Amino acid sequence: MVSNVGRTSAEWLRYITSLPGVPGQEEAVARELLKAFGSVADRVEQDRMGSVYAWIQGDGKPPRPRALLAAHMDKIGFLVRAVEPGGYLRVTEVGGFDSRTLPGKEVLVHSSPPMVAVFATRPPHLQKKGEADRPIQLEDLYLDTGRPEREVKRKAPVGTMVTLRQSPIELLGDRLAAPGMDDRAGVVVMLRALELLASKRPSWDVVAVATVEEEFGAVCLGARTAAENLSPDLGIAIDVSHGDMPGAREGDTVPLGSGPALSIGGNIHPVVLEGLKRSAKALSMPYRVEPCPTGSGTDAMDIQISSSGVPTAVIGIPCRYMHTGVETVEPRDVDRCAHLLAHYLSELSPEWRAVEVLK
Amino acid sequence: MSPKPSLDSLLPALSEAYGPPGREEGIRAALRRALRGMGTVREDALGNLHLHLPGKGKRLLLTAHMDAPGLIVTRVDASGLARLTLLGPMPAADWIGAVVSLDGSARGVVGWDRPRDAKETREIEPEALYLETGLGAKQAPKKIEVGTVGALLDRAERLGDLWCGGNLDNRAGCAAVVAALSGVRGLRNDLHVVFAAQSDLGARGAGTSAFGLQPDVAVVLDVAFVGESRGTGDIALGKGPCLGLKEEGYLPHPRALDLAKRAAKAARVPHQWLIRESGGSDARAVRASRAGVPTALVAIPARKTGGPRVLVNANDLEQTVKLLRHIVTTPYTGEKGSR
Amino acid sequence: MSANGAPKFREDILQEISNAPGVSGGEEAIRSILAEYARENVDSLEVDPMGSLVARIDPAPARPRAGAKSGRGSRNGGRRGPHVMLCAHMDEVGLMVTAVEKEGRLRFRRVGGIDPRILPGQVFRIGAEGIRGVVGALPPHLTPRAERDKVTPADDLYLDIGARSREEAEERVPVGTYAVFDTTYEAWGTTRKGKAFDDRAGCAVLASLIQRRPPVPVTAVWSVQEEVGLRGAAAAARRVQPDLAIVLEGTASGESPGAPPDEQYPFMGKGPALTVHDRTLMVHARLLDRIEETAKRHKVPTQWKRPGVGGTDAGRIAISGAGVPSAVVSVVCRYIHAPAAFLDVRDAQRTVTLIWHTLETLRKEWP
Repeated sequence: MVSNVGRTSAEWLRYITSLPGVPGQEEAVARELLKAFGSVADRVEQDRMGSVYAWIQGDGKPPRPRALLAAHMDKIGFLVRAVEPGGYLRVTEVGGFDSRTLPGKEVLVHSSPPMVAVFATRPPHLQKKGEADRPIQLEDLYLDTGRPEREVKRKAPVGTMVTLRQSPIELLGDRLAAPGMDDRAGVVVMLRALELLASKRPSWDVVAVATVEEEFGAVCLGARTAAENLSPDLGIAIDVSHGDMPGAREGDTVPLGSGPALSIGGNIHPVVLEGLKRSAKALSMPYRVEPCPTGSGTDAMDIQISSSGVPTAVIGIPCRYMHTGVETVEPRDVDRCAHLLAHYLSELSPEWRAVEVLK
Repeated sequence: MSPKPSLDSLLPALSEAYGPPGREEGIRAALRRALRGMGTVREDALGNLHLHLPGKGKRLLLTAHMDAPGLIVTRVDASGLARLTLLGPMPAADWIGAVVSLDGSARGVVGWDRPRDAKETREIEPEALYLETGLGAKQAPKKIEVGTVGALLDRAERLGDLWCGGNLDNRAGCAAVVAALSGVRGLRNDLHVVFAAQSDLGARGAGTSAFGLQPDVAVVLDVAFVGESRGTGDIALGKGPCLGLKEEGYLPHPRALDLAKRAAKAARVPHQWLIRESGGSDARAVRASRAGVPTALVAIPARKTGGPRVLVNANDLEQTVKLLRHIVTTPYTGEKGSR
Repeated sequence: MSANGAPKFREDILQEISNAPGVSGGEEAIRSILAEYARENVDSLEVDPMGSLVARIDPAPARPRAGAKSGRGSRNGGRRGPHVMLCAHMDEVGLMVTAVEKEGRLRFRRVGGIDPRILPGQVFRIGAEGIRGVVGALPPHLTPRAERDKVTPADDLYLDIGARSREEAEERVPVGTYAVFDTTYEAWGTTRKGKAFDDRAGCAVLASLIQRRPPVPVTAVWSVQEEVGLRGAAAAARRVQPDLAIVLEGTASGESPGAPPDEQYPFMGKGPALTVHDRTLMVHARLLDRIEETAKRHKVPTQWKRPGVGGTDAGRIAISGAGVPSAVVSVVCRYIHAPAAFLDVRDAQRTVTLIWHTLETLRKEWP
């Protein structure tokens, strides 16, 4: 068991992205996060839907206001939906992969013990004419474990979780590519921020929530239920933002290494955004403003309209190739997001509330 | 005192009751009759019908939606035909030939503007449907107001091993719930039963019910159609109720799934797995209500005929009743398979 | 148009808020105008965490009752009647500037439903200062023949504010700034022309209603972010927890030359439109009955909104908490979600009148 204390962001990223956990089956990652957050937080717990809460008690006078941080711990993956004669597995996705990036990829079928399988491809020799011109759909794909049908049936019943098997790749310039940076990188930001807050207490109580099921369905289930449960006075989601890539439009992406991306738009409370910008300036930290005209597409969407309304903001970690097996981030950006978050929270005035009483 | 309700009497009675989404007064009355003597029944702000069977133990919500496919008049054209928009996900094509009850009283039959070219294969849009009431060009505009709501007028019939009827989605579920509750005594769960309104408009009634009740665990009962789980792994009639593993907005909570699986095993009810890529049930709203509700989905397999009537298997229904009865009578501990 | 015993419709408010900018997520200008009008008349006034303006107003203390709770109706009606939430959304459709390009051009995205075909050649007012920007279009002379039959996707368009460089543009218009149609309110006959009548018409109707103490406890909510998913009302309804809700809207007229007569409804000038059903709501049957009865009793002409189209805050309010009986009453407007909408000012007064008397009905006959 490696000690948690003193890990760098890169080390955390490698570790946390390696944990399995698709929407609805986050138990394994939750167990590890309870340990990881347990080493930095005052208290950790798990709610009935499976989200992990880590508390930092503020040093203000009670009753203290409460800030909710949210990063989702689920990552996109698959469930076994049928075992075909011959022992081939058909899968359904939980969270949206680009199926064009899947053929030939190795996966782990989370039976006990896990089995390795590959997304089978048909060699060009056996393809029909024109087949290669059509993008591959998930329905065209199947998994081959190389094991006999009986064994597969016994070990991998319908509903078994399947995740991409891809260890983190170190790229030049300290960049790191791995499946699940979306949003395990956000979880690491929360961990690092809590580390900082434990030594420099804010006046508010802070509860960092590693949420379940952000990647599945129209509702961010974990964020919504946690926000209902906790009735926070402030909610900040930490998630990945599209990194700069050729072919993407200016305004839709933020460069890797450019620091936190701060969303602007209806999902963001203007006072919170101003506070985050002030903190970035105080830390002499670069940041970008990321326009979100119709919503941020993060946990903050559900937090904002939960309970009787919560002021929300989103801190984005620049990340390339989202929803592939090679989601790429720069650990430096993760560090910056954590410092920004900790600074902002520790500067929060004990009196500030979003509700403005005019009469 | 009415005789103990059986599926053979419940299915025809519940299936023919008027109850399109948001206008469920007819089915509410039919359910009140069916539930007579079982406990206190109340209606809430959205029109959901609640039955509380108090017991010491965890709060268990069992819910089935009671609304059925509906249509609504948008205008009456120059020839006296009422033009329509649809309430709920039943495809326009399936409405053709349906006999419809309007606001529970007047009647009509649904037709469509058949294209001149018989080879035309475009999908049938709701705009192409009309409702012929026989009132004629003069009377129809006066008698049929914009906003008039209609529902399938149909009484379920037995065909061999099958039940056939227009409103079996989800009156089959309602009948199974009533049958499962009949004669149940000495509950060791605090059981709340909700016949939910407005499911077909997006799981509206069940969500608000769950919000109000804050149950410890919930079981949603609905129907699922053959063909919704595409290709290998599809469901079939006669193989027992389905346990939901994935559908729109729903993944099972491990504890709730465990509850359903154990009940199936203990009651010796064969079951099949349901994974549907599109289409959903009230489960999505129940599980996301308030601080979250561990929720399991049980679905009765059903087959579409391509017209207004659907088919369910009588044995699947019996098995579903057995499963539900086991779920409601076994104390829920919430311990195993904790998440 | 007589007010028929109800408060008078305040056209001055409509004019002021129609001219002011308030795209979904940036409603502050509308909010501050409405807060000023409301402040005098209401018992409490606050801005909620999303930016919605929430005002509570108690009924006139005609029949005080010992032990009555202040400010809220009771569930069973009682003599104070039900606690009614009246809601109109402040936000309008518009644009958000998403990038400033090297040459000083502003890329944008649409906020809410705007037909991309109406954009080329339009003028917008950008930000609080109202800097003018034009959406350019390549002249037909320079457009390749094959392109002329195609709709230019909104993503290929840009706003030109006359800036010569990125620096010059960024200084005036930072990324994230909103833009609205550059339209000025005007009146001729009973017709009013302006932008954002969806839903500034409803906002002005609501402001008019609270000029007097209502017959039942009312919480007025001017909501945010309706056009991007009915978001503000969702949170506001949880805060207010009303016994029932009526949403006040500006809805689309069905008038269109050439279409069969039975398809051309509702009409501008023929009274408030009542909703039975839209994409987000089946209106509560008993509440709708009360509104219809009231209209008949007070001789307010009404018409039906076309079922199955559109969606309003009522869709969210109805399923908030344990459920809220909800209805929608609308002023019929031509050309909503476009630069210049029309409405008939008599319809606005009729809507005020209908809602006012409906509140009286509800005091006696609810639940």
